[in-house]
Amino acid sequence: MRFLQFVVDYLKAGFTGGLLFWAWMLFLLFFIMLWGYGEYVQIANGMIVTNLNDQVSWGFYLANFVFMVGVAAAAVTVVFPAYVYKHKELHRIVVLGEMIAIAAVVMCLLFVIAHMGRPDRLWHLLPVIGIFNFPHAMLTWDVIVLNGYLLLNIIGGYYYLYKKYSGGEINKSFYLPVVYIAIVWALSIHTVTAFLINTMPARPMWFHSMMPIKFITTAFAAGPSLIIVVFLLVRRFTPMKIADEAFHLLSQIVVWCLGIALFLTMSEIVTELYPATEHSLGLQYLMFGHNGLNSLVPFFWTALSLMVGSFILLLIPRIRKNLTLLPFICIAAFIGIWVEKGMGLMLPGVIPTPVGEFAEYTPSHIELMVVGGIWAIGFFLLTFMLKGAVAVLQGEVRYRTESSKQAVSEQQAEAAT
Amino acid sequence: MTCYRNHQTLFGLCLLLFLFTSPLLATENQTDQECFESRDGMSQVRVREISPGLVNVKCSSTTGGVLWWGDPFAGTIPMGDMDIEADYSNEEAVVKPREPELDKNKMLTICSMACHDGNYVPIPHSKTPRPLKMHLDTVPDAMNLKHGKGNIWCLDCHHLVERTKLIDNFGYSISFNQPQKLCGKCHGQVYRAWRDGLHGKRIGMWDKGGKKRWWVCTECHNPHDVEQKERNSGFAQLRPEPAPNLPKGMVNANHERMHHGSHPDETGHE
Amino acid sequence: MPKQDSSKTKDNKLTSRRDFLRSAGNYTVASLSGAAMLLSDPKPAKANVTWEEHFQKNYRLMTDEEKQQAIERLETRYSEEYGKQVTVDGTPSIEGVLFGYALNIQKCIGCRRCVKACVAENNQSRGDEQQIEWIRVLRMEKGKFSETDRDQHGYPESFGVQVGGNAYKPAGVVLEGQHYYEPEQVPEKDAFYFPMQCMQCEKPPCVKVCPVRTTYRDPDGIVVIDYNWCIGCRMCIGACPYWARRFNWGEPNLPKEEMNPVTHYLGNRPRMKGVVEKCSFCVQRTRKGRWTACVEVCPVGARKFGNLLDPNSEIRKVLAKKKVFRLRADLNTYPKFFYYMD
Repeated sequence: MRFLQFVVDYLKAGFTGGLLFWAWMLFLLFFIMLWGYGEYVQIANGMIVTNLNDQVSWGFYLANFVFMVGVAAAAVTVVFPAYVYKHKELHRIVVLGEMIAIAAVVMCLLFVIAHMGRPDRLWHLLPVIGIFNFPHAMLTWDVIVLNGYLLLNIIGGYYYLYKKYSGGEINKSFYLPVVYIAIVWALSIHTVTAFLINTMPARPMWFHSMMPIKFITTAFAAGPSLIIVVFLLVRRFTPMKIADEAFHLLSQIVVWCLGIALFLTMSEIVTELYPATEHSLGLQYLMFGHNGLNSLVPFFWTALSLMVGSFILLLIPRIRKNLTLLPFICIAAFIGIWVEKGMGLMLPGVIPTPVGEFAEYTPSHIELMVVGGIWAIGFFLLTFMLKGAVAVLQGEVRYRTESSKQAVSEQQAEAAT
Repeated sequence: MTCYRNHQTLFGLCLLLFLFTSPLLATENQTDQECFESRDGMSQVRVREISPGLVNVKCSSTTGGVLWWGDPFAGTIPMGDMDIEADYSNEEAVVKPREPELDKNKMLTICSMACHDGNYVPIPHSKTPRPLKMHLDTVPDAMNLKHGKGNIWCLDCHHLVERTKLIDNFGYSISFNQPQKLCGKCHGQVYRAWRDGLHGKRIGMWDKGGKKRWWVCTECHNPHDVEQKERNSGFAQLRPEPAPNLPKGMVNANHERMHHGSHPDETGHE
Repeated sequence: MPKQDSSKTKDNKLTSRRDFLRSAGNYTVASLSGAAMLLSDPKPAKANVTWEEHFQKNYRLMTDEEKQQAIERLETRYSEEYGKQVTVDGTPSIEGVLFGYALNIQKCIGCRRCVKACVAENNQSRGDEQQIEWIRVLRMEKGKFSETDRDQHGYPESFGVQVGGNAYKPAGVVLEGQHYYEPEQVPEKDAFYFPMQCMQCEKPPCVKVCPVRTTYRDPDGIVVIDYNWCIGCRMCIGACPYWARRFNWGEPNLPKEEMNPVTHYLGNRPRMKGVVEKCSFCVQRTRKGRWTACVEVCPVGARKFGNLLDPNSEIRKVLAKKKVFRLRADLNTYPKFFYYMD
């Protein structure tokens, strides 16, 4: 009963807001409708409505998937300092990080479903009624870690919020293990996603052991970048107080991880291009094009410039600590990593094909609609969850018995008169 | 599909004709269409229905080559005696008879009976090769005997008095349907490989004891000019089947015609 | 059509099959998840996919009876859809047979007849919108090295790197092959050809990565796919080092009159959109003793096929007598598709 009340109150709090809030939600809703339309067209006609083909059979959907797994994992950059280093400021907002993780994992699952040719047969994966090729298929590991991570974050985040809401004591012997498992689990989701693609010698661009660590460092640069922006928005638009200290720590994480990521990128480029074997054709195609096919080239260099530029700027303490400038640098880093780690990783992995065929790929309108829509769903969920969470954390929403409710409404009535 | 015979001069004209008629040809496998199996013009087969909904062969609408055999044994006869490897000696081996193909206008038969009986046209005493213009109708390559590079002549292969037969080392006749016995006289290694199933082609049942249709030498090779003039290759050039469709979003395949290295400006390597 | 054997088993099946169908009636209910797809289908004459087909088990795990039912369902649907008697075969692996294939790259003339024969046999989608071909023939440069043709300014190259003047002249390199060659006549003087298809690996990476085990290796060594179980995730396409797998991006386009009605459940039966397919060594033929369509069509006899366990088979003779190699042996996939030279 109390829990039901929590759900209702949370929903109410999540969907209460001013004009700006509703404008934002409607704006997202528009893209969500496009997603619905795109998915309908794709399911009705098959994936032929995408620009994917036998040469480039993995594209925009999986690129976004890989990236979003990173963002989901990056919630750990809030949770880890909060619980392991007992960072007070982050500890207060740790739940918000978990909300970001939940939204990101939901997006990941939607990207995977969009990528699947037969989403109607998803049940074939379910153990017992279907076949779950575990432990052989890396994808089954990914299914486990992603869903597990989603579950851990829902449990961790909402258990905490529920306790706040109902005013109960947090049972530490239950809650802390969940948190610590979630921390390790966060690393596992991105590691497994890296294993998903780097365990295929057929695709030399991905076939190196640096992939997991590169995934994690780029994730821990892009994720906190997004978290910084989101937290700044929360601070601006809600009564929630987030100390500057929290941002300083996060921006430090961004700059170090971005630095390591760039170092790894450089290592990869040198290792591949110095001998320049045929295994490096994918990377060469990405960086310089191939015989006149060079649609990826500008994206790669733009992404690299954004990453290098934001890294250099963030290295300077005065700029890093400037909270008006910081979000813009974060957005630049985020976009840079999104391009480099998304399409910039996915496409040269499949181009050329294992038998050396080059084909250029740009997403179709449907793909853009679906991907845009999934991002909108993510932001929609995030906005709603954050609003609810902030309301609970601020104590605006809390469990009241019938009598106390009455008292409150009487108080309000008095105040009104 | 006569268009695709090796008349180089007519090729352009044929191509034009093909372009105009290709929409019609696209409705492929109309019965009575003529296709070729291996040698264009010398291994012809007509499309016909062998049972409701099943044709004997399916042909390529672009090149006229046979693509698919509904019945691999249609129109075949037993191969006759051959010292096949012992393990497979119980296999049923059949061949497509070459005689009907080679003797389409019956000239071979007529000539053999009317002239080359050993008396009317005596058996020549000189083995020096010389042009035989009068036989161009039956043997299109009569003026172009390249086989053996001048070291053999007609009667090393053709029977002295039976023009519908070939000849073995002892002077006995060999049927045109079993040219392998003739060719094996000199090309022993290829003959052995052929018997092993390694050289040449067989269709039908792959399994041990299964019925097989064997392709004989002249179904693939032109015995009068095996090496195709200067090409030094036993098999005549063909028009290839069309290339696959380009991947979605690609307008041409120019990129793969450039040479190695990313120097699109330096294409003049040829 | 291997007539001797297939016809005998088929005839006595047909009667019982019809009885079964009559009793089952036209029990066709679109599944909930598939309802949107079926309703939105623009083709009116399309036979409905039954509820049972949507919820059937993975073929490998079905009992013999369930397999028979699945096959009968399909035969009814296909026969209705293509307007002719379509048979779906379920013949399992033959005891004591391991299929192997060998291709003589010295003989291949690059005529692509194998590609088209495969399409005629295996009911792939065709047409401009979606063309699926299981065999890809690459054209390889033989390599020209001549005194006059030397690329002198390539030595030394930019950045002062020393590069021989002929470094950029490809010769027979797989990754430099041409896929879309279209000369008037083949073989060309300065090229050779390299056909590729599914290698039926003994250690297939595609099988390992499949999350639902819809693709698996049968005892005769053929890597097969249950199209009804495939979820379309395309992990296998990513994992295959030979680019052998194709995806049905849209509903396949298979004209009724061109459809080959002799099919196998794991082979050339018509596919649906959203599933992966590939060469199955013509399982519908080879398990009945017949050679594959590509072996039969090759005008130069460059393709050899047989039982690797039989020392007298032509494939074993190739292995014994010729110079044989496997493509990308470094990947330890152990293909049963060999290349050889005389």
